[in-house]
Amino acid sequence: MLAHAMAMENPKMILAEGVGAMEFYELSEKYGIGAVPDTVVNEGEHRVVGAVPENYMLSELKQLAK
Amino acid sequence: MERLLPDEIVTQVRQIFEKLVNPVQVDLFISEDRSDTCEPTRQLLEEVIPLSDKLSLVVHDLKAEPEMAQLYKVEGKAPAIVVNARDGQTVTDYGIRYLGVPSGHEFSTLINDLLMVSNRDSGLSPEMRTYLKGLTQPLHMEVFTTPT
Repeated sequence: MLAHAMAMENPKMILAEGVGAMEFYELSEKYGIGAVPDTVVNEGEHRVVGAVPENYMLSELKQLAK
Repeated sequence: MERLLPDEIVTQVRQIFEKLVNPVQVDLFISEDRSDTCEPTRQLLEEVIPLSDKLSLVVHDLKAEPEMAQLYKVEGKAPAIVVNARDGQTVTDYGIRYLGVPSGHEFSTLINDLLMVSNRDSGLSPEMRTYLKGLTQPLHMEVFTTPT
């Protein structure tokens, strides 16, 4: 999982959780999860829908406030 | 109890595990009130982890070990799987969690995570590594998935 690989690079700053949408239904409801995979960044500050390539994920994250 | 993994999958996983390099410790947090998902997860890991001597499994009760749950940021979350590096007695948290039953597609994710952590290498591009190492704010990613 890309997010898991990312966490490895800086685990003191990054927490990457794969979440079973069915097992954690309330959490899925909270974020209105439809299509998966759906990456919720910083409790909803940003969303990345789909299994995106690494460079796309990087460009999405760079839009976040540092 | 009937086994979850068919023989052919066990054979395949054993072959894949020949590529494991360094030890990996999987910590599983379970909870009695979520036994419908925790028990199959425990059973699956108890079938997978013994397939390599590089792998070890530690099972925690979420309620009985609140300090451990807090340490791994899995309070109130079961089943929660943590994939840690282990070097001798030292266990290193790489920030990798899987919340839920690792079945279907997520079974492959688990196997790949074990290989990645065992290699101690994310395999990411230099650009991504530079960005992640330079983070000044915490980054929390919740990747929602389903088994199919």
